[in-house]
Amino acid sequence: MARQTKSWRQLHQGTIVKTLLAAVVSLIFFAPILWWMLASIKPTPEILRSPPRLLGFDPTLNWFRVVLGNADPTRFNIETTGSVGRGSGGSTFYSIPYLRDSMIIAVGSTLLVLLLATPAAYALSRFTIRRSKDLTLWILSQRMLPPVVVAFPLFMMFRDFGLIDTYRGMILVHAAINAPLAILLLRSFFDEVPRELDEAAMIDGATRFGAFRGVLLHYLRGGLAATAVLSFIFSWNEFLLSLVLTTGIVRTVPVASSTFTTAFATEWGYMAALGTASMIPIFIFILLVQRHLVRGLTLGALK
Amino acid sequence: MTNADPMTGIERRAGREAVLRRSPFWALGRVINSERPWPWIAPVVILLLGIGLYPFIYNIRNSFREFNPMTGNVEPVGLENWRRLLQDDRLHGAFLTSAKYVLAALVIEFVLGLAIAVLLNSGPAISGLWQSLMILPMVVPPTVAAVMFRVLENPDYGALQWLLEGVGLIDKQEPLLGGTGRYAMAAVLIPEIWQWTPFFVLILLAGLKALPQDPLEAAQVDGAGAWRQFWDITLPMLRPMIAVAVLFRLVDLLKVFDYIFVLTSGGPGTRTEVLSFYAYQRSFVTIEWGYGSVLGIVILVLAIVLANVYVRVFKVAW
Amino acid sequence: MSAMKDTDAKVAIYRAIEDWRAGRISRRKMLGVLAAAGVALTSRPMLRRSAPSVSAATLQEAAATQPEEIVAFLRDVGGQFRGTTIRVVSEETPPSRAIINLKKEMFEDITGITVNWEVVPLDQVLAKVSQDAASKLGANDIYYFDQAWVGRFINDTYDPRELLDQKPDLAMPNYNIEDFLEPLVRHIAMYGDKMIGFPCDVPIFMYFYRKDIYDELGLQPATTMEEYLENARIINEAKSGEGTYGTVGQMKSGHYALECDMTAYVWSHGGSVFTADGKCALADDFAIQGVEYMRQLQQYMPTAVTTYDWGGQFTAIQQGQGGQVITWGENFPGWDDPANSKVSGLMEPAPLPANTAQRPPEECGFEEHPDLGHQGGSTYCLSRYSKNADAAWIFLQWATCSNTQTMASIIGGGASPMRQSTFDDPRVKEAAQVGVAGTTRHFPEMYNVIMNRMGTEPHLPQWPLIANDIIAVELGKLTTSDDPTGPAMVEIAKKVDEAASS
Repeated sequence: MARQTKSWRQLHQGTIVKTLLAAVVSLIFFAPILWWMLASIKPTPEILRSPPRLLGFDPTLNWFRVVLGNADPTRFNIETTGSVGRGSGGSTFYSIPYLRDSMIIAVGSTLLVLLLATPAAYALSRFTIRRSKDLTLWILSQRMLPPVVVAFPLFMMFRDFGLIDTYRGMILVHAAINAPLAILLLRSFFDEVPRELDEAAMIDGATRFGAFRGVLLHYLRGGLAATAVLSFIFSWNEFLLSLVLTTGIVRTVPVASSTFTTAFATEWGYMAALGTASMIPIFIFILLVQRHLVRGLTLGALK
Repeated sequence: MTNADPMTGIERRAGREAVLRRSPFWALGRVINSERPWPWIAPVVILLLGIGLYPFIYNIRNSFREFNPMTGNVEPVGLENWRRLLQDDRLHGAFLTSAKYVLAALVIEFVLGLAIAVLLNSGPAISGLWQSLMILPMVVPPTVAAVMFRVLENPDYGALQWLLEGVGLIDKQEPLLGGTGRYAMAAVLIPEIWQWTPFFVLILLAGLKALPQDPLEAAQVDGAGAWRQFWDITLPMLRPMIAVAVLFRLVDLLKVFDYIFVLTSGGPGTRTEVLSFYAYQRSFVTIEWGYGSVLGIVILVLAIVLANVYVRVFKVAW
Repeated sequence: MSAMKDTDAKVAIYRAIEDWRAGRISRRKMLGVLAAAGVALTSRPMLRRSAPSVSAATLQEAAATQPEEIVAFLRDVGGQFRGTTIRVVSEETPPSRAIINLKKEMFEDITGITVNWEVVPLDQVLAKVSQDAASKLGANDIYYFDQAWVGRFINDTYDPRELLDQKPDLAMPNYNIEDFLEPLVRHIAMYGDKMIGFPCDVPIFMYFYRKDIYDELGLQPATTMEEYLENARIINEAKSGEGTYGTVGQMKSGHYALECDMTAYVWSHGGSVFTADGKCALADDFAIQGVEYMRQLQQYMPTAVTTYDWGGQFTAIQQGQGGQVITWGENFPGWDDPANSKVSGLMEPAPLPANTAQRPPEECGFEEHPDLGHQGGSTYCLSRYSKNADAAWIFLQWATCSNTQTMASIIGGGASPMRQSTFDDPRVKEAAQVGVAGTTRHFPEMYNVIMNRMGTEPHLPQWPLIANDIIAVELGKLTTSDDPTGPAMVEIAKKVDEAASS
């Protein structure tokens, strides 16, 4: 690295400061999540205690047992209170099916959107397209109508095509929502890779698709990773369309979470347990994808 | 990373065929091995048209109709909804509130996001962990994040309120949430910024990492300071990423309503009533679908105009 | 921890349930073990008071013992529709949740009809039902209507009285429609002389107070509105330093909850929303006095009340922030729940204070009925656009029949009863324990409010717009400011009149 000129000591000090700073900033952003994760093992009064405690409370796994283990909350209510209680029927809190549905839809739509958006982004970057500015804006505009007014017409359309409560329907919709972001994002990553690379490859006998593939594999990993993470997250979090286009046979995590706020109260514990449970797989996914967000290569050799 | 020469991947095609044959791009390759752009673009355009066209037409049509609560039917009303648009005082308020909300959120999220991205890119130890932690706020569904902050901002048992009281920024009489609502806008912006600063971090960090290194190295050889390097080289090179990130956040910000819905219901009065929340109210609460459609189209038009202005002013190369 | 016994009991419960799941033991046997273990568990030291005798096992067992004539009806008549799927959309309320949990064994397994019950937040219910009704799609067979929507949807459902007459072969034996409390049918399920469906839930304003605080401060339950305000003041002065305020409200600006609080206080001071000629009466002296009263009460509430909807208010009381409150009776079992509440066993219901003045319903418009006991009831109704109307009708009768309603009242965490027979049922009375989550000990007072003090909003078709938007927003401006009440109410009345005449 270029910093070799500096002394080891300076370098070291710099890293420590940066690391500390990075730690502080990311922990500030992480704090609400930590609080939420802790809430998933706290009894209700403890969740609503101010200031919140990191330690020193009686942890409970009841929320998780119901949300992930399909345990009957009635039973826990007897154990802890001696009677059945609010939220006694447990069927609606058991969340493995919601997690499964969300996972299928998010993974499916992410794959679909990458599959369709990457070539489009490449074309926008490499070919001369008449009125490409208008095309780009049109693509972007597909994300501009608020879901509030899109939901009902989509519902009618889905009804006619038999797509209500189907994975493929939700995957198509989420892919369409994410396509504009994916196309524009990937396009700007392609733009960073000099065209000469493609041309050199094609002179060497590669087909157009071969050139595309080469660029993709070598320079777009970070871009693809970032796009995949974002598409996945947007699909995972999308609420209104998932609500309207399903009737409970397929049910995603945000829609399920919304029913944890009942007519009279919020079931904090169940909500926190589901929230925590749904965060862990994504966290692992992000950690795995992280290594593709690596530094780009030096392109000097080409010029 | 010690990767191979960038050329080798393309030269050693044969060796990679086996791997690529399994990739989904392989099948696509047969279709789009073309020098003409349309085969590359058509699939995604078909998807967008398939999902987007009907709702668009429907809303245009719907803007000339209205649900009549007396008859329970949707009836044609001509230009009534559009006329109402021009006379709607609340809409003017919502415009201004939206402007404040969008501007505040966008500026804070962008500046903060860029700073954090640069920090994380500058080589702190175990940066992967920090990056992952930074991204986590985004994976909480906004509806749930809003509920979380409803607790955190509660004047009596909220941890955030407790912290801010502790450092003397606010008191119990005029809390973040409640009272006369003086801080209502801040109260809805806090979860907004918490969730979406990471969006900028993620995109800009990926952009920073993908930047070619030679210009930076050349500048270093020339003895340029860190700040100059950043300002003259990094930032201009990062512009395409910034353009995408800002544009998308802008478009999404015009549609945001979860935080407002859960935390303030647009209140007190209409002080935090942004355009999208107003549209939500018309469509879902008061059941004025026709007018809701009109507001939806207004948001669409507004987004198109703003996107165009942005692209022109900041000379984004499309 | 007296852990030994405790752990044994838990282990026994787990084993029994696993054995049952694996088919090694019968359901009855499993329930027996649960009952035995449940009794053992109730002696845990963490409980504040002596163990209640109600155990979930006995409740579940009871739930499984449906009267034979109903089982026969479901099997023989419902069985004709085996394989049909019907759809219900409702809010997440205690009775809804209870019925969702009862329906499999008590209905679906017997009839072979599948019930797809979708639970969504209230405004989504309104949106879904409105779309369904406007487009006549028949996407849902059974609708859930808040009482506020009755006027709007009265023509979109079958009148259940007609169905009972016209389809004798599908009528459930001894359904006994007369058993529903008459005021509930009149206030929640009727518009004009049409009946929209069966009442299924009635959250209703009741007066609750913290017995410990009242005792400590030497207070008596208020019998007049003035006394109630005075009590709030005294409690607030004595206790607000410790985080317990005089009272709590649901005064979130822009939210329907605020309108609910307002009407209760307007009604109790002789005002109403409309006069008999359909003009808005919110700017008259009675109404202004009522809103003034609410604002005086607000001084003795936490500052956060301007962002509390009913859920926020519920939590505040549950966490010990209020010395007294007039609000939804269905909150009460949650406050008595020792696992989640800091006030378990400390709250007591009392008769509502007398109205300062009261306008007779004849002088009000759109079937408004002024009284302090504001109700927010709801109905289950059969859609006119249903494509499986017969199967849905059978389900509707089952869900609202006496036995099912009684079950729902017990296992639903205090879901309010609709029927005289439910109030009288020994199983319901047995659940009236102090300091347990599913208590029914507030039912006698609730019955009293339903029969004598129920207040009902006007039900014109534009009501959702007026209540959820105009009043909630404009009043929200007022309650978050120091502005005088009068001019603001004049403004509200003007906007309401505009909306009502459109």
